[in-house]
Amino acid sequence: MKLSRLNSLRRVQSGDLIMKLPDDHDDSRRPQFPLDSTSYKIIDEIGVGVSAVVYKAICIPMNSAVVAIKAIDLDRSRADFDDIRREAKILSLLSHPNILNSHCSFTVDRRLWVVMPFMSAGSLQSIITSSFPDGLPEPCIAIVLREILHALSYLHDQGHLHRDIKAGNILIDSNGSIKLADFGVSTSIFESNSKQGVSISPLSTSIMLKEVAGTPYWMAPEVIHSHNGYSLKADIWSFGITALELAHGRPPLSHLPPSKSLLLKITRRFRFSDYENHHNSKNKNKFSKGFKELVASCLDPEPSRRPCAEKLLKHPFFKNSKGPDLLVKTILQGLPSVEERFKLGKLQRLPSMKTEEEEEEELEKEIIKQRRISGWNFNEDGLELDPVFPGEECSIMEEKGSGNSSECCSGLSDLSSPVGNERGGGSGGGGGEEEEVVDRESIVGGLMALKRSLDEQRRAVGSLIELMEGEKVGEMSREEQMGRLMEKVTRELENERRRNFELEMELEFLRLQISAFHNNNDGGASTAINN
Amino acid sequence: MKSLFKPKPRTPVDVVRQTRDLLIYTDRNPDTKETKREEKQMLELSKNVRELKSILYGNSESEPVAEACAQLTQEFFRDNTLRLLIKCLPKLNLETRKDATQVVANLQRQQVQSRLIASDYLEANIDLMDTLVAGYENTEMALHYGAMLRECIRHQSVAKYVLESQHMKKFFDYIQLPNFDIAADAAATFKELLTRHKSTVAEFLSKNYDWFFAEYNSKLLESTNYITRRQAVKLLGDILLDRSNSAVMTRYVSSRENLRILMNLLRESSKSIQLEAFHVFKLFVANQNKPADIVGILVTNRSKLLRLFADFKTDKEDEQFEADKAHVVREIAALEPKGP
Repeated sequence: MKLSRLNSLRRVQSGDLIMKLPDDHDDSRRPQFPLDSTSYKIIDEIGVGVSAVVYKAICIPMNSAVVAIKAIDLDRSRADFDDIRREAKILSLLSHPNILNSHCSFTVDRRLWVVMPFMSAGSLQSIITSSFPDGLPEPCIAIVLREILHALSYLHDQGHLHRDIKAGNILIDSNGSIKLADFGVSTSIFESNSKQGVSISPLSTSIMLKEVAGTPYWMAPEVIHSHNGYSLKADIWSFGITALELAHGRPPLSHLPPSKSLLLKITRRFRFSDYENHHNSKNKNKFSKGFKELVASCLDPEPSRRPCAEKLLKHPFFKNSKGPDLLVKTILQGLPSVEERFKLGKLQRLPSMKTEEEEEEELEKEIIKQRRISGWNFNEDGLELDPVFPGEECSIMEEKGSGNSSECCSGLSDLSSPVGNERGGGSGGGGGEEEEVVDRESIVGGLMALKRSLDEQRRAVGSLIELMEGEKVGEMSREEQMGRLMEKVTRELENERRRNFELEMELEFLRLQISAFHNNNDGGASTAINN
Repeated sequence: MKSLFKPKPRTPVDVVRQTRDLLIYTDRNPDTKETKREEKQMLELSKNVRELKSILYGNSESEPVAEACAQLTQEFFRDNTLRLLIKCLPKLNLETRKDATQVVANLQRQQVQSRLIASDYLEANIDLMDTLVAGYENTEMALHYGAMLRECIRHQSVAKYVLESQHMKKFFDYIQLPNFDIAADAAATFKELLTRHKSTVAEFLSKNYDWFFAEYNSKLLESTNYITRRQAVKLLGDILLDRSNSAVMTRYVSSRENLRILMNLLRESSKSIQLEAFHVFKLFVANQNKPADIVGILVTNRSKLLRLFADFKTDKEDEQFEADKAHVVREIAALEPKGP
């Protein structure tokens, strides 16, 4: 009896019986995709990460419609699944032409399959990496930004923050349509979940979130020192950074390791002109005044002065922006397919480095934004662009060598990644006195961390040697054992670094507060930043 | 009906009344959208619900005003607006459904003269919970009704009703629905019901021990679905380790059948399930008054268990876990079979 009820329930759920609803709003007419893996045929792999694989597939009963399936290994995620549940819910309740939502999601043994529309041209970040290393032409940027603002305006209106806006999360289809993807760190300001750090009292848009989330280069200053809380305007900052990324092929400060970029953002006001100077002086007048104005307004260090998405849409920069056809003509023609780009990226990476890199990359991402179930942006091949790559060891080394030690950095961290040539000019000249003080102290901090991590490594190597000498039996080959140990050690190291970084940030913030207090009795920390 | 199109500004009470009028209209008309007029009514309803939301949460221009929220709440619950809203929800469009859900969520926490009047209203209209729970059987409505339900069971009396109703049995099916988003939502509600109000939960579990744990074991812990097993063993740990449930815990860990199930979970290839199972298994071992048959099983499997724990590690270092493990190992090693 109970069983038969469950079966009929299943039937309803799996789409044999499509619910007829009294209204005919387009949103409730979403076709029901089947909820069993046998209805899908996997065609190709288009993305791989440590705990997830993205496939291109067809859905046989739906007229062989092409879909993207993200298969996530649930055994690697935390037990209460709260993040995954929240994201699955957001994905199925959002309905907007510029937002990538899911057709459905269901579990297949230990994996969660999220079935999404297939965006055949992939992410803008991968397009830039493969075909536009110096950035996209301005008319194309205008279209992309306009579409993203539509998505943001919708999200913000619903009280959702995206919290991870960047070219890697902007997908494009063969007809030039643009969608914002990846809601892994997005959150709702209406969900007063204390775990998320949202205050319980019902507040307006000034509601403050306190959790650090996102990817460093795109993060707004107030998100970085999140003690103060941040709001919808944090997305506007990331949007501004994304505009620069589209224009130049990479986000500003990406020649610096992530921790450094965060520190810089806190210690001094970030200016558009800075970026142009160190980046490429040829490009200086490449962009229109309107574009520069738009970006500058998004990158105001004071969140309340940044315009909202709705208002940005009315900016003159978008006045004459074209339709998606232009994107098809300018960007998509002759572009290698997502599958080809993915395979090429795979080949380009040194086989010996590959897994370690991915591990490291994914690990750091996980730390920052936890598990995410949408979006295809992981494992893109633009390592230079990849904000999560070299990690804190670079900042430590760089600070030790006071500026010009990019070689030792690249040697240490990654052989295959092209290190930015502009590095030399970047951090050495710019700062004032305040920054030097900061540097000296962070050098001490950095060295301490280095010492700690060396101790850690020594211990690990010690136990490795012990193991090699002692253990002679066992099914695993030595290489395998070593490999595993190395992995573990790397992971531990990474954690240690992260902790160190967090402490550094904390210190930095406290110092700022003190200096703000001295400089200006009633001004806040932000005034001090501007000085 | 003329009053519907009064010019602004309207008071919060006006907005509630107008919403109610429009809901009554919507409720009476089986076929919406047939005429221009109805379409307009629906649009007007959406606007009103949106306005309720912006009074309660504030908007980009203004913070919510406590006085306005109180007036709104009082008017909302003075009459049957919540019932109408829940009933008409399937007729609303997606955006309005979401707004309505947020409005309902917010209202549960609004105090009028330091009383949660939502709680009083729900006690008098407790059958609304039946509609909300049944929402899990409707793909379109599940996430909206589910979210409302979770907000309503913040009130202890409401949670008690749902726990003691026949609905409780249905959750064992709902959390295994094939749609992941819906199943996960049901699981979240299930967990909330069994962990939020300690005394109510303890009372429910002792009164309903037999059927509840029989279902829990067979449908959840022994489910073929990985995610069900994993969530169930985690939740079981949370329940049994809660001090207020100590009587239930003592009973649970004295059962040989329960031990068998947990030992099977310890043998799973999934590391996460193994770990969660350990946190329950340790209670069987730590029990100072182990029944003879429990001791017997532990003694019989002693060498296997000790071997298992020898390579049993967490990914990150966890002192508490290591201490628990050492304790369990010591305890098992020292066991002597009891007489029959």
